[in-house]
Amino acid sequence: MRCCQSDSAEWPGEAALALLTPKAEEATKLFNEKKYEEAEALALAVLDAAPNQRIALRVLFEIRNAQKRGKAADALGARLAGLPGNAGQRAQANGHYAQYLIGQARYEAAIPFAAEVLKATPRAAQAHHVMGVVFTETGALEAGERHYRKAAALSPVEDGMVLGNLAWNLKQQGRLTESLALYEQALALRPDNMRGTGGKAQVLFALGARGEAEAVLDGALARWPEDKMLRLLRVMADLAQDRPQAVLDRLNPAEPMVPPELLARGRAYMQLGQPQEAINAIAAARNIQRERGGLSFQPEALQAQIARDKAYFTGDRLRPLPKAGPGAFMPVFLLGFPRAGSSLLEQLLAQLPQFAAGDELAPISRLIDAIPGMLGNQPYPEALDNVLVGDAAQVPDRLRALYEAPRGALARPGVRFITDRAPGNVWHLGLIKLLYPEAPIIHVLRHPYDLVLANAAQDRRLETNAHAGLPALARYFDMQAQMLKHYRGELTLRYLPVRYEELVRDPDGEVRKILDFIGAESDLPGGFGLNNGAVPEPWPAHFALRRPVHPNAAGRYQAYQQALPKLFSEVAAILDPWVRELGYEEPTP
Amino acid sequence: MSAAQENGKVVMKLADALDKLAKLEQANKLPEADDLARRMLAAMPEHPHILQLAGIVAYRSGRVQEAIERMEKSQALAPDVALYPRNICEIYRGAGRLDDALAAAKRAIELSPEDSRSHFNCALIHYERLELDEAVAVSDKAIALDPEFAEAHFEKAEALLLGGKLKEGWDSYEWRFKLKQAEGMLPKTEKPQWDGQPLAPGKLLIIGDQGFGDCIQFGRYIPWAAMLAPQPIIACSGELLPLLSQLPHIGKVVTRWDDAGDYDAYIPLSGLPRLAGTTTETIPPSGYLAAKPALVEEWRARLDRLAPKGKKRIALVWAGRPTHKNDKKRSLKLSQFAPLFARDDVVILTVQKGDQIAQAGGYFGRAPLVNLGPEIEDFLDTMAILQHVDRLVTIDTSVAHIAGASNVPTSIVLPYAPDWRWLLHREDTPWYPNMRLYRQRVPFQWDDVIARVAADL
Repeated sequence: MRCCQSDSAEWPGEAALALLTPKAEEATKLFNEKKYEEAEALALAVLDAAPNQRIALRVLFEIRNAQKRGKAADALGARLAGLPGNAGQRAQANGHYAQYLIGQARYEAAIPFAAEVLKATPRAAQAHHVMGVVFTETGALEAGERHYRKAAALSPVEDGMVLGNLAWNLKQQGRLTESLALYEQALALRPDNMRGTGGKAQVLFALGARGEAEAVLDGALARWPEDKMLRLLRVMADLAQDRPQAVLDRLNPAEPMVPPELLARGRAYMQLGQPQEAINAIAAARNIQRERGGLSFQPEALQAQIARDKAYFTGDRLRPLPKAGPGAFMPVFLLGFPRAGSSLLEQLLAQLPQFAAGDELAPISRLIDAIPGMLGNQPYPEALDNVLVGDAAQVPDRLRALYEAPRGALARPGVRFITDRAPGNVWHLGLIKLLYPEAPIIHVLRHPYDLVLANAAQDRRLETNAHAGLPALARYFDMQAQMLKHYRGELTLRYLPVRYEELVRDPDGEVRKILDFIGAESDLPGGFGLNNGAVPEPWPAHFALRRPVHPNAAGRYQAYQQALPKLFSEVAAILDPWVRELGYEEPTP
Repeated sequence: MSAAQENGKVVMKLADALDKLAKLEQANKLPEADDLARRMLAAMPEHPHILQLAGIVAYRSGRVQEAIERMEKSQALAPDVALYPRNICEIYRGAGRLDDALAAAKRAIELSPEDSRSHFNCALIHYERLELDEAVAVSDKAIALDPEFAEAHFEKAEALLLGGKLKEGWDSYEWRFKLKQAEGMLPKTEKPQWDGQPLAPGKLLIIGDQGFGDCIQFGRYIPWAAMLAPQPIIACSGELLPLLSQLPHIGKVVTRWDDAGDYDAYIPLSGLPRLAGTTTETIPPSGYLAAKPALVEEWRARLDRLAPKGKKRIALVWAGRPTHKNDKKRSLKLSQFAPLFARDDVVILTVQKGDQIAQAGGYFGRAPLVNLGPEIEDFLDTMAILQHVDRLVTIDTSVAHIAGASNVPTSIVLPYAPDWRWLLHREDTPWYPNMRLYRQRVPFQWDDVIARVAADL
């Protein structure tokens, strides 16, 4: 874009801009009259003369957005948001751009613009509402809750949408009872809140009121029969209760289906033990994602991060660095490739009074952004060298305190250990070593073929887009396994591997082994076991979908290999060495 | 000009090409040598000397089987060239094919009976086969042909010492300082080597020659030397300084020749057993090194936090320094200790250092494993850790001597033909009473050795 190349220091001032306002307003009029080509030409002409002409920028932004020229729209929206102006102008431009990003689910990117709106209009309920959305959707749940509550307080009347969103936030925090009460209140105010209705059903389901949840969903589907989100929630309820045929009945293959629906069908076929049909459904979903959504494996950024971390986090480098002292509680880091069973393990440990389930709350990786600021503005991880110098030796303690602050609320009386299941932990064991040099690290292993198979069927975005297919999943697995191998070779870690296959076969024995390793009381409470509901709130989100472990889940790959002999041929070269190293038997050729 | 252009190709005379290949190999330019060897073999696949050199290059590049194939073919094509069996016997020895090695060595001697190197190679093979009398006899033949052949003298010494003939062995053992690898081990000085006669205080320089393990093992003789030559100066590497400084009656400990000061005579540490007239019955007792109390306490607390309670603590070292001449024989892979890892009642505390520590990253055995190596700063840490374990399981490396010198219960796994100090046919050692020896019953076969270690824990 021509005007993008201009130097902002040379942009015209207010007086010159005012001269161009009539032309820019004419462009707006043309746009509103759907004379897009003329509107575009005029807006461009204005912007050639004045790249900071607010009205023309807005017109061109809308045109580029409609043309799906994302990068150009991004640049225009960001420029518009960055223009100086009065509070109202700034709030409008930033708010508009933040909503544009939120509409594309780019919540992280929306945060600074939503924040500008708030700074310009700190008493506006809507500004707090938007902050609540972006924080909640990026996992900053406590901050999100704070803004939702502020929005509710500032709103002149009770706002059902705000309350519904707050209820979703609390659900994400595992505070299910509070969430349900809020949903009741929100839906009483706004019975047309379809998403809120879906959210309420999910909370009911998580609380174990599965029949009631299904009734809510059935009622909602009667009201909004075409809504795919509600139908998918209903399907999830069936899947979670081992009713695969109901899933297949609900998702009629005669209709065009979106990838999440196809993947749900794939999982239903898996439950039915029909490999060919399962793989067909999964492949159809991934094809759509690849062809229409451009889904492709993108490992480059992660590879660069791995190279950087491997170079930095070596035994010789970390040994002399000061480490943090003992904290308020002992985290227990639960590692595992997605679908390996770390959530299952967390659910088991959460049944013990000395444990609280921290899940993915406020992960260690979030501290990384704060580190350069604390350590001489050098990039991470090299900045960590500065902890050797003077008062910076206290930085590991400060970082540990930052990590503990949001998690401290989980430490009810009697709790000694808080589990941390953040998926990024596998990349950050070097930093974890500085903060908690002797924290237990429990790694849930599972046969690599089962892992890639289970992930292939999940409707879940993975780092690097590893969900794109089996080869991508295998390479992602390899990256994780290599990283972990590096850390275990370079650092003294309190590391214990456990196997999913053992965990589902003998949960009591495996948990006792873990407790022995950690040095915790190894008496298990009465009723301890898989799918026990006697866990105090807050509950991590994954507790909602607890379901009996499927009897075929361990070693499922064997049936698939038998039915589809070429299924794993593309991944064997990557996974077979790990199959051997992890102590699993060779896959049957 | 040794090369000419012909149709765009560089053409080289065969003799020049062979010479170039040999020089590349000797200069350790192995990828280039490998490339040239392949091209020469493609042009002349049946040329015995190309095959021979290509075999050596393959061996040095780690492709043992390919090396043997090339060299066997070379030998078949030119069965009367003495150099070929002389070379391949060493390759067979390294690959553990001791019968083939011996046959090739004998063939080399047959073809060239005046070649001292062939006799020496044969002595090495007899040692590996534990045919010690033959090893001594063949070494003597090599020495008769070349009286200054230091390696042959040293081989003879090792065979005698391994057989328990210490007094006879010590004299030949003195040849070790004429070995190529011994250069720089002793100071450049006109001063005499100590003869065991009394000296004034501070006038004897004792040199920590050889490896860490040897120095720790022979450190027990320093108090004996100090009775004759009080307050001896100890010259050793920085790593050994905190250990040898513990010994009683010594003077200063230095790490640079320049700091040694004005001494009247010197003696390598490994020469003290000879001067002391040591036999297997007169070895000074162990227990002469002790861990630092503050470190012992620090590691006690740390290990209590790191290691699960209620399990036997087994410290483990599985690999030595890769540049050690016998490292292939003595080092294992971590995974070869699987019988140990299958036990439910142990926790493995690895005290391995060096590059091989990375193998801990691929451990997924049943017994918990704590990789302590990354937090071990020096031998003092290792010694302090060993005070808190039930047993050390180790290969023949310096940690074994640290454990032995500080009386830590130890299981040491040894190759079929071990280093001389472990003697033969016994499960104990007069050097370290707390040590139990587990010997290979078949060369290069570790499985049953480790199974026995694990069963005895």
